Amino acid sequence: MSHSRHTVRPPAVAKSSGGRLGYFTRKALGNLRNNRLVTLITICTITLALLIISLFMLIYVNMEGTIDQWSRKVAVTVYFDTEPLPQELAALKNRINGLPGTESVQYISRDEAYKIFRSRLKGQESLLEGVSADILPSSFEITLQKEFRSTDSVNLYVSRLKQVQGVGEVQYGEEWVKKFLTFFQFIRIIGLLIAGFLILAVLFIVSNTIKLTVLARHDELEILALVGATPFFIKAPFLIEGMVQGAVGAVVAVSILTAGYYSMLANAVNFLSFNPSAAGLTFLPLSHIAALIFGGVLLGFIGSLVSLKKLIAV
Amino acid sequence: MIELHNVTVQYQKDSPALSSISLNIPKGDFVFLTGPSGAGKSTLLKLVYGAVEPVRGHIVVDGQNLTRLPRKQIPYLRRNIGVVFQDFKLLNSRSVFDNVALTLEVLGWESKDIGKKVFHILKRLGIEHKKDVAPLRLSGGEQQRVALARALVNDPKILLADEPTGNLDDVNKDQILNIFREANIRGTTVLIASHDRRVLNSVHGRVVHLVKGLLQETDDVT
Repeated sequence: MSHSRHTVRPPAVAKSSGGRLGYFTRKALGNLRNNRLVTLITICTITLALLIISLFMLIYVNMEGTIDQWSRKVAVTVYFDTEPLPQELAALKNRINGLPGTESVQYISRDEAYKIFRSRLKGQESLLEGVSADILPSSFEITLQKEFRSTDSVNLYVSRLKQVQGVGEVQYGEEWVKKFLTFFQFIRIIGLLIAGFLILAVLFIVSNTIKLTVLARHDELEILALVGATPFFIKAPFLIEGMVQGAVGAVVAVSILTAGYYSMLANAVNFLSFNPSAAGLTFLPLSHIAALIFGGVLLGFIGSLVSLKKLIAV
Repeated sequence: MIELHNVTVQYQKDSPALSSISLNIPKGDFVFLTGPSGAGKSTLLKLVYGAVEPVRGHIVVDGQNLTRLPRKQIPYLRRNIGVVFQDFKLLNSRSVFDNVALTLEVLGWESKDIGKKVFHILKRLGIEHKKDVAPLRLSGGEQQRVALARALVNDPKILLADEPTGNLDDVNKDQILNIFREANIRGTTVLIASHDRRVLNSVHGRVVHLVKGLLQETDDVT
């Protein structure tokens, strides 16, 4: 007996993938409307989950900012025994700027060094009586690019710097740099570990919430399979629903974070003396906000996919 | 249309749900599957629509050997088979119309064609005035008619029913059986699992007895 699937029916109009996408989207939005309570619970769960992650991101971004600020103090100083001539100075500055890893080179003349010294001894200026600027050497204060601030890179940079013609005595706080960088490396690792656990926990919570919503509609899955729906046909609206819920949850989370930031944290100069060099906390950059919203969509999608995987057996 | 060759199904070790069943149901037949609870009637129906796989033997449905058919082809097989249950399996969050339309949406029909076809089948089954009502607000007989409309809306080659009159009173039973008979006259092969003697006596058809997973006898009733 030959198999002829559509012989007895009016021909089904083959829909384009765009038409299908429209159908699935309409179906998904309809389902979201019909299951308002469950939808609300899922969106709230995603919002809370992403709010926790975004708060963590805010702390992390500010911590990174602080580390960056502090690590700028990892400066290398080149001292001059005698005040160099302006053209020598310019040539040397150019050579140092040409070294890989140099971020900026600042000339500190004897007079400027004296001023700095004086300002550091504020209140005890009498100690400087009889001392002139001549006893202090002029110098180049060199700050390094971010990726050149690790101990090994600093050592390599200094050895290269010493080979530059005209460079005499070089000083950098080797031990201090080492301790400082190790400490912040440790903080970074801890931060990333916490972030990893947080993301896993969030994925687990969200996928379980979505699983409950899928279970609540188990009858629908069964009936769809019974009337000949392919697994893709059954899954597609659920996946779109997950993505919509994820996107809405993410937008709400970002809105709450933004509102919270501008109403409480933005102007709190000394709210946490966390980042003393900057006034208050900085907000998440746009790229992070975009990542959060994309993360929400992905969270909804993966949550739905994981929940559906075991539930749909043809 | 439906052929079973030495089919054995086993859910648990040492107690087969069906033992070496061989059965041939030609196109256009009207067959009753009878036997006490646990005899294997539902399992036999599940075999036909690909919800259960045999441990031995093979099944041919509409010319396709299901034992060799890839799982991903099962949905396409089911589009030729309408299935009706004792508990109706209707979606209570959707209207009668939407419940029936589901079958055609799966097939990718355009919504205006779906509208015409669904209204036509609801009218044929006498429930077109209930199309916007939720199934829970209908009587048992009406709900079963909705389930039948969903199964018949795409003119399936095969109609399977598991105790379709189990929850119905006598008047409704007769009406539902009439719908099965009409579908059969239109060319659909019908297989009904039931232990209700009244059902067997009211329709002309072939009767297949199952007892403890074994095929006992087949005969015709008038």
